[in-house]
Amino acid sequence: MPTVLENTRSPISSSLAAALLLLISLFCARLYAQTADTTNASGVRAMHVLGLEGVKRNHHGTLTVQPSGLNFDAKGARGAIAIASIQDVFTSQDSHQTGGKVLTVAKMGVPYGGGRVLSLFSKEKVDSLTLEYRDANGALHGAIFSMPLGQAAALKKQLVDLGAHASIPVESQPEKKDDGGTKQ
Amino acid sequence: MKQNRSLLPVTLAGITGPALLLCIVCLGIIPRGFAAENAAWSIQVEPVTAEEGQLPPDFSMAIYEDLLTQLAKTGQFQQVYRSGDHQADSVPNLLILHMTLLNFERGNQTERAVTTVKGATKVQVHLKVSTRDGKPLVEKDVQGTVRLFGENLKATYALAKHIAETIRDTSLPGPTVAKAAGQ
Repeated sequence: MPTVLENTRSPISSSLAAALLLLISLFCARLYAQTADTTNASGVRAMHVLGLEGVKRNHHGTLTVQPSGLNFDAKGARGAIAIASIQDVFTSQDSHQTGGKVLTVAKMGVPYGGGRVLSLFSKEKVDSLTLEYRDANGALHGAIFSMPLGQAAALKKQLVDLGAHASIPVESQPEKKDDGGTKQ
Repeated sequence: MKQNRSLLPVTLAGITGPALLLCIVCLGIIPRGFAAENAAWSIQVEPVTAEEGQLPPDFSMAIYEDLLTQLAKTGQFQQVYRSGDHQADSVPNLLILHMTLLNFERGNQTERAVTTVKGATKVQVHLKVSTRDGKPLVEKDVQGTVRLFGENLKATYALAKHIAETIRDTSLPGPTVAKAAGQ
């Protein structure tokens, strides 16, 4: 009599396996991001959040401080801010979810609230560098860059050493931490 | 008689079709009319005024930059000028947009993702659009919030969008009317 092998795997165990696989891939992605985002010899890997003329929002590239000013080089886009035009430089800290829209959608698909648990592990702290500068017509501009933790203060120091104006000195600026729900 | 009855639905359909089309066209023209009226104005945007330490500089700059983008997108104004732009000095019909911070609440993206109900980031400002001689034309409290998805700075985008919508929905008087009322 032929024996029929039944698939004994329940839907719950397959969901758990999927969640586990997602968790592993998440950790791999974070490890890759950490190695890829470190400072290289010529500059700092950063993301242009907004404000730089000629560069699209959320573009990744390299920030370098030159005697002429701050340069941002990305694939097919380049922006620069002259030292003399910089009115103020600020640094701050924030945390955000890694993985972008793809991971957000993937987390929504994980059953039994597993996506929410994954959110606890997919956060990353980042530094942000904010510059206020004026163009040739005297018009005020603001540019924001996001970069790995600990990089913004060094960039600010380089800019201040080259003559950029900063209302808050490099050492004394309080780091604004994203601790959540702080009413100001 | 039977033939007339059978033709009635066809005739109704023939009338309602063009009537619906006419309504759609009219609805499209009316806002354009308001926009054309406001197009005589140019606007200069000033950054948010807040007490020291109340609003982080990145949020302040993000509101300012997002607002410039949103106002330009509406096509309501001839020109959108930045704060301090010397080109705006010689513009005759210039409105000046001021914002004063009322409330800022920094949330947390992870808290939002985990709980879905907590960790919202909120920015509320008092909006004032006035003529060069200080006559206020628009005054309103506007809020921007990010509740579920997105980074904290997304609240500034929501705020800028709400401000642009508020100005768009307000029928501003023509420059000549506003000047006559001011005198």
